[in-house]
Amino acid sequence: MIKTIAKPSEKKVTGCGECRSTCQSACKTSCTVGNQSCERVTREQKIERK
Amino acid sequence: MIHVFTYHDKHYIYDTGSGALHECDEATARHLKGEPVAFTDEELKATLSDLAALKSSGLLDAPETNARPIKSNEVKALCLHVSHDCNLRCRYCFADEGAYHSVREVMSFETAKAAIDFLLRESGNRKVLEVDFFGGEPLMNLDVVKKTVYYAKEEGAKLGKKFLFTTTTNGLLLDDETIAFFNAEMENVVLSLDGRKQVHDEVRKTVNGKGSFDAVIEKIKRFVKARGDKHYYVRGTFTAKNLDFAKDVLFLADNGFDSISLEPVVTDIPDLQIREEHLPAIEREYELLADEYIKREAEGKGFLFFHFQIDLEGGPCLQKRVSACGAGNEYFSVVPCGDIYPCHQFAGDVNFKMGNVFEGKLDGALRAKFAESCLFTRKKCEGCFAKFICSGGCNANNYHYCGDINEPYPMTCAMMKKRIECAMHVLAERKSREK
Repeated sequence: MIKTIAKPSEKKVTGCGECRSTCQSACKTSCTVGNQSCERVTREQKIERK
Repeated sequence: MIHVFTYHDKHYIYDTGSGALHECDEATARHLKGEPVAFTDEELKATLSDLAALKSSGLLDAPETNARPIKSNEVKALCLHVSHDCNLRCRYCFADEGAYHSVREVMSFETAKAAIDFLLRESGNRKVLEVDFFGGEPLMNLDVVKKTVYYAKEEGAKLGKKFLFTTTTNGLLLDDETIAFFNAEMENVVLSLDGRKQVHDEVRKTVNGKGSFDAVIEKIKRFVKARGDKHYYVRGTFTAKNLDFAKDVLFLADNGFDSISLEPVVTDIPDLQIREEHLPAIEREYELLADEYIKREAEGKGFLFFHFQIDLEGGPCLQKRVSACGAGNEYFSVVPCGDIYPCHQFAGDVNFKMGNVFEGKLDGALRAKFAESCLFTRKKCEGCFAKFICSGGCNANNYHYCGDINEPYPMTCAMMKKRIECAMHVLAERKSREK
C-alpha cells in the first residue's frame, strides 16, 4: 500500500527571481531555501482569492 | 533518487526528482531499502504494481532537475549592521558580543543612506527590496533605524520600489513607542529568547553578568500581544547545555508565542558547542518536538515552528532551490563604516570584504565566487535526499566549519536531515487529519 501525501503543484512561473532573499528568514544560521514560498505564486493566489 | 525513512510506525518515501512524498507499509519500505521481505506472491504483485504506477506518473524515481541556478546581478537585500555594540553579553554570540572583533560603534545615518542608495542603484528591475536591521543590538541606534526606514521608503517610491524591513532585537530596549514603530514599519521582527529562564540566563547575560530573561520576557510578550497578525519570530539558540531543547520551544509556545524558531548554536566554545556525540539526543529531541507539535495542532493549540514549515506542494521553484541562499551576490551585509560583506556571518573578515557603500563597487572576483556557489558546486550534496530543500546549506556555516563555502558541515547536514524528516511527518499527519 502506497499513498501520496504531497506532490508539487504545477507552477506557471519558474526562475523569475522574485523570491525573497533566503537569509531574511527567521534563523540567520540555518537558512533553508525549502522553507520559503514563491512570491509570485503567493501574489497570484491572493489576487485569485480576491 | 528516493529516500525511505521510518518515523515511529510510519514509513515514508521521498522522491527527490519529483519532490513527492508518499506513505507506505513496512514491507514496501523494506523492499525499497533492499531488505529481505516475506511477501506472498499477491503482496509482491500489488507492491510492484503500486510502484510502477507511481513511476509512470512521474512521482517515483523521477529524473532530477536540470534546472540551472538563477543568474542575476540584481541586489535584493541588505543586512544593515546599524550597531556593532550590544547591551547584552551572550556567551555564544558569533559577533563577539556585538563588537565583531573590532571597536564598538554604531552606523551613522550618512552610511545607512549610502547603503540604501547602493541597494536602489544595484537592484535593477527588482521592485521589492529587503533591508534587515541587525547588530549587535539595533535598538541601540533606533534613531538611525527610523531615519533609514523613512529615507528608503521615500527614495524607493520615486523609483517604484517597495521595501520590506526586518529587525532582529534582543528586546531589552523595547518600549511602547518602539513597538508602535515596528508595527507600522517592520514586515518582520525577530526577537531573541532562548526558552526557559535558566537556559536563557545561562548564556544571555547583561553587561553586568546577570541573566537577562526577567528583563526581556515581559517586553517581548507585550510586543507580541501588540503585533496582531503581522509576522514575527521568537528566535532562540540551543547549545550543548540544553539538548532537551524541545522543552524550550514548548515553553515559548506555552508563553503565548506562536511563531518560533530555535537554532543550533554556531560556536567553538567547548561547553556550548554542538558535537557529534550530541546528535542522537538532538535527533530524539526533534522527534519529541514533532510529536508534541502534531498533538497540539490536532487539539487546535498549534504554533508555528520555523523548521517544520516545509511546503512540498508550493514553495520555491527548482531554480531557486538549486541557487542556494544568495549571500555575496543578491544579499550583502553592511557594517557601520560602510564596508560590504557577503552576509552578517562574514562581517569583519577582511578576506571577505567586498567593497564599501561610499565607493559603490563590489569585488567582482569575490562576487563571482559567491554567485557561482550553488547546489551543483557542493559535490557532497549530490547523493543527499535533502538537497533540493536545503540547497547545500549556509555559505558561512560551511566556510567557518569546513574552510570552504561549498563544503557542507556534516553536523549541520545531520540536523537538517532530521528536521526535514520531522517536517515531512508533520505534514503527513496534518494531511491525514484534513481528510
